[in-house]
Amino acid sequence: MRLALCFCAVLVSSLKFADAQASVEGRVELPKTRSAPLMTKRYEVVTTGGVLGINPPLAVVYLDGSFPKPASLPTKQVAQKDLAFVPTLLPVQVGTKVEFPNLEKDTYHNIFSYSPAKRFDLGRYRPDEKPVPSQIFDVAGLVTLRCDIHEHMRGLILVLGTPHFVTTDDSGHFRLSGLPSGHYTLKAWVDSRTTREQAVDLKSGSNIHVDFPATP
Amino acid sequence: MLVVAGLTGAGLYLAQRNAMANLQRDLQRDFQSDLTALHNVEELRYAALAERCGALVAKPRIHAALEDNALDLLYPSAKDELRDIMQDETNPQPDQISGVPHARFYRFLDRTGALLPPPNPAEVGLLRADEETQLALKPLPTTAQIGYLLRGGGTAEETIDEIIALPITSTETNEVIAALVIGFKPLEVVQKRGADEMKSGIWLNGWLHLPALLESARTVVDQEMSRRLAGPEKAETSSHLDIEGDPHLLFFKRLNPQSAFPAAYEVCVFPLKTAIARQRRLGWQILGAGALLLLVGFIASHLIAKRLSAPVAKLAIDSQENLARRKRVEAALASTHEELERSTRFSADASHQLKTPVTVLRAGIEELLRRENLDASVYDELSALHHQTYRLTGVIDDLLLLSRMDAGHVKIEFRPVNLSRLIEEWLDDLNALPDPLKLEVKTHLPSSLSISGEQRYTSLVLQNLLENARKYNRPGGRIHVTGREENGWIYLTVGNSGPPIPAEMKPYIFERFSRGANGEKIAGHGLGLNLARELVRLHGGELNLVSSDREWTEFEVRFRPAEKAGTNSERRT
Repeated sequence: MRLALCFCAVLVSSLKFADAQASVEGRVELPKTRSAPLMTKRYEVVTTGGVLGINPPLAVVYLDGSFPKPASLPTKQVAQKDLAFVPTLLPVQVGTKVEFPNLEKDTYHNIFSYSPAKRFDLGRYRPDEKPVPSQIFDVAGLVTLRCDIHEHMRGLILVLGTPHFVTTDDSGHFRLSGLPSGHYTLKAWVDSRTTREQAVDLKSGSNIHVDFPATP
Repeated sequence: MLVVAGLTGAGLYLAQRNAMANLQRDLQRDFQSDLTALHNVEELRYAALAERCGALVAKPRIHAALEDNALDLLYPSAKDELRDIMQDETNPQPDQISGVPHARFYRFLDRTGALLPPPNPAEVGLLRADEETQLALKPLPTTAQIGYLLRGGGTAEETIDEIIALPITSTETNEVIAALVIGFKPLEVVQKRGADEMKSGIWLNGWLHLPALLESARTVVDQEMSRRLAGPEKAETSSHLDIEGDPHLLFFKRLNPQSAFPAAYEVCVFPLKTAIARQRRLGWQILGAGALLLLVGFIASHLIAKRLSAPVAKLAIDSQENLARRKRVEAALASTHEELERSTRFSADASHQLKTPVTVLRAGIEELLRRENLDASVYDELSALHHQTYRLTGVIDDLLLLSRMDAGHVKIEFRPVNLSRLIEEWLDDLNALPDPLKLEVKTHLPSSLSISGEQRYTSLVLQNLLENARKYNRPGGRIHVTGREENGWIYLTVGNSGPPIPAEMKPYIFERFSRGANGEKIAGHGLGLNLARELVRLHGGELNLVSSDREWTEFEVRFRPAEKAGTNSERRT
């Protein structure tokens, strides 16, 4: 009986989960790039008039709302390779632990952030430092990563209160799946000043199309 | 004397004025050069600081603090970076590190130019609240600005600090996002030189920081500065100033031209009292020396003048005497000249007046001689008279020529004259005449002996000499004519074997109407030799009696030779 009960519970929960599946796809109209496409794709953080963004542009699309906090979250990584952060822009859910492995040959790094969402200073560390220096990002917001040794290095971590987010490809296309049904606001983060949003009505099993045109 | 004294006085006055102007110019120049040196040092300081701040601003932590909205972390981040700039009271270090002097304080200005208050003022240099507000710069400057900050104004610890505001530019956007203001003890200026005389300080916002001056003097300088600066703004200037009755020289120059901070001036006060006293002393010395020199010069010149004037006085007397003598001589000369003129005129008139009656006389006698019924004795008598008329004509001609010569009316036209030919011609004429004396004539002449002269007068000379040689000869006697060129002269000697000229007569033979002792028997009028000599002398030559002894009398005449080029023209005539 207890076994049957357990089974039922699992079944119900799995069914419920399956029922709730919804997906959104579309395109975020990205800012025009000023520079010609590069041979080797390499993103960098740029500041224009005090606004931080990525060049070539990328956007993060996420479903805003309050969701139950999961028991455990996967650990993410922002590596340092060739004197740059990889990836340049990392969206994470609040509470995510991010490791900062140094993948250079023999260059020290000192990753720190003065951003209000997360202030930390990892100190200097070598490649292959064990354990890999890491931080847990528990406040939503935009965190600028810097290296105290290499002043030009910039990285962004977008800490979100939702588990449903995705980074667009460089043409702005995205696809979010496994979303719960209900009324939500779908947001597209473009740069530190620009976040576009659209109200979405998600139905179980549905796949809707949402575009984020550039606001005139 | 008065002029010399006046000039000296003027010279002294000018020299003094010049010295004063020089002093002022020198002081001004020193002041300027000191300030220039100061500015150069300051520029180096700014360059070092600017470099330092550039590096500071490039620091990711400062950048992060300014750009990532973490201003609370700005001072803590800067503290480590600026540790070596800040003066450390507890641990004194060398005054400067790599050209950057020790700062007394620093503050950051935010994007708007407002001061960012430090969380722990003790770490960045304590400032009073009113002092801190003076550091703000709105809007933020884009270039480094120099200013001065009065600290503890009016208190015993009153100082002026130099402040430098350095804009902090975002490395990414090139926008000025903040500024760093650093305060230093200002560099010392002009203290090294004339410290006892020259006093220097800083005038800032109507406040004179010059502790070396007394309060009352400061007020005077303050007023003067306010007055001078109220006018059109000048970067630098100087003026005279009276402080408590003593003249002073005031220099000032803006320390921070074109700065966004309030204007500050370097002010130097130089008392002229000692300089003027020194100058006055010098002036008196020069004046004394000048007066002494003048006195010595006066005495010396007096002595010299006295010595010089003695011969001059004597000269004056002498010249008076000379003048009188000269006037006498001139008068005598004038009367002589007059007499000569009169006599010349007389002989000329006489000659002319005589010539006509002689011609009439001769014509009458010739008329009588043409009569056919004359007695032989009458005819002879008339013939003798006729002959005498010719002699008279000759005398008159000679007198006429002589009088013309005396009057200076005879001018020789120099041309080449062939002397040899003249003599040959005369000898030919002689041979044609009846010769009762049977004379032997010898010539020894070069083929062409040319002299420079006028032919009619030259031939007259020759004629006289040769005629005399013939006339005064003895029967069967000799005449010897020789010519030669010697020492640039042409000599012609005419010798004859006539009776000697008595010794007592020799000095007079060239005088007019003088004739030899035996002259009475011989036709002549005693003018020939005189005429010949006068004519030779007119030619620039000379006629002399060489010798006259028992058997031989010889005259020598010398002429200038004809110029070689002239011989051709002579040959043509």
